[in-house]
Amino acid sequence: MTTSAQVETPRRRRGRNERLATTSSRFTRALGVIALLMGASALLLALVISPPEVTQGDAVRLFYLHVPLAVAGGYLGVGLLAVGSIGYLWKRTTFWDLLAASAAELALIFTALTLLTGSLWGRPVWGTYWEWDPRLTLTAVLFVLLIGYRAMRTASVDPQLRARRSAVIGLLAAADVPLIRMSVDWWRGLHQTATLNPLNPSLDGMMLFTFFWSMVSFAVLFLWLLVHRFRVAWLEEQLADRALDEAIAQRRAEAPQTP
Amino acid sequence: MDVTPPTQTDGVHSPDGSPAAGSLAPRVGGPVRARRWRGIVLAGVALAALGFVLFRGLGNATLYFYNADEAVAKRDTLGEDRFRLQGNVEDGEVDRTSGTARFTVSYNGADVAVEHHGELAKLFAPGVPVVLEGRWDGEVFRSERMLIKHSEVYVEQNPDRVAAYDEGDATKAAP
Repeated sequence: MTTSAQVETPRRRRGRNERLATTSSRFTRALGVIALLMGASALLLALVISPPEVTQGDAVRLFYLHVPLAVAGGYLGVGLLAVGSIGYLWKRTTFWDLLAASAAELALIFTALTLLTGSLWGRPVWGTYWEWDPRLTLTAVLFVLLIGYRAMRTASVDPQLRARRSAVIGLLAAADVPLIRMSVDWWRGLHQTATLNPLNPSLDGMMLFTFFWSMVSFAVLFLWLLVHRFRVAWLEEQLADRALDEAIAQRRAEAPQTP
Repeated sequence: MDVTPPTQTDGVHSPDGSPAAGSLAPRVGGPVRARRWRGIVLAGVALAALGFVLFRGLGNATLYFYNADEAVAKRDTLGEDRFRLQGNVEDGEVDRTSGTARFTVSYNGADVAVEHHGELAKLFAPGVPVVLEGRWDGEVFRSERMLIKHSEVYVEQNPDRVAAYDEGDATKAAP
């Protein structure tokens, strides 16, 4: 993933701060290899190696994708969106704003995939693609809030105003996640109650390992994507700043010289 | 960055009542910090209200299903209303004649006779918890839609255990 920050000034000689901008580093290349290997092994375990379940049969394999996607998108993605939003409202710096924006975008993708895999899993197991079960409803609300957040990011208003409004939407989305978590205990629905009980896991051995491995893999994959997304956003910000500086310099150059 | 020149109105106040740039007129309204705190408090109140509405709304108005025993107790008030009923499919014959399945579901000691017209869920079997959509017809629950409420327990398919169970060695088969 390489972005050129040179588009605006192709003929200028590369100075000290004019290196070709890239989002990768030795750290992210290593993380990327690890994330892809873990992701591939998790898919192999989930879709091929792990055993079918007694009542669900092969449909259980979607469980190893659905839950890790939901956890990475909801807890990691929306969690970091909340951290970035609070950080921005407190410190008012671009770093926190871009952290929130990057986390929100990935959370949107992961939540969409959660809904998709859940729908595909629900058809054979529950007998329906969609049902207004409390957890499904609240996850749909989260999905809509994240789309709203994304729309806010593209709004062409003053960057500080946009960051502030985005942060408020981000916190609204963050408030939905604990509700999604508790929905299976507070209300009745088709969703099972929490499977992840560390003291008494209700999963047989190989299934438990596949589930655990898949959770860790999707989390690593998420963090790898997040680092790159954040760096792209950071470079875009710098590029916009530079373009503005150059435009101002050009206007100044056009102005008649004062004696 | 604001690079546009400030628009002049009366030279003292801009249209929203605040002093124009460079004006010596006193500021209207409190300092920025106080207004920021008011915004945070308002957002907090709005969030709390949203949470409360969601909790009450989802908790009461959209009760997803009645358990079999509650549905029996409320049979008179429910009348002809459509609702969802949850219960475990009882062991015994499932009579499937001319697109109708007759079986019994039970929950918390209450049994309900069900006449189901329509597709049977793929995982439908004795012992499985089902959610049925339909209405009371006297003592019988007529349903048109069947969903499976699956449990959080996942058990590996293992031919040895099935064989052990068939031979009556339940100790090996029990998870």
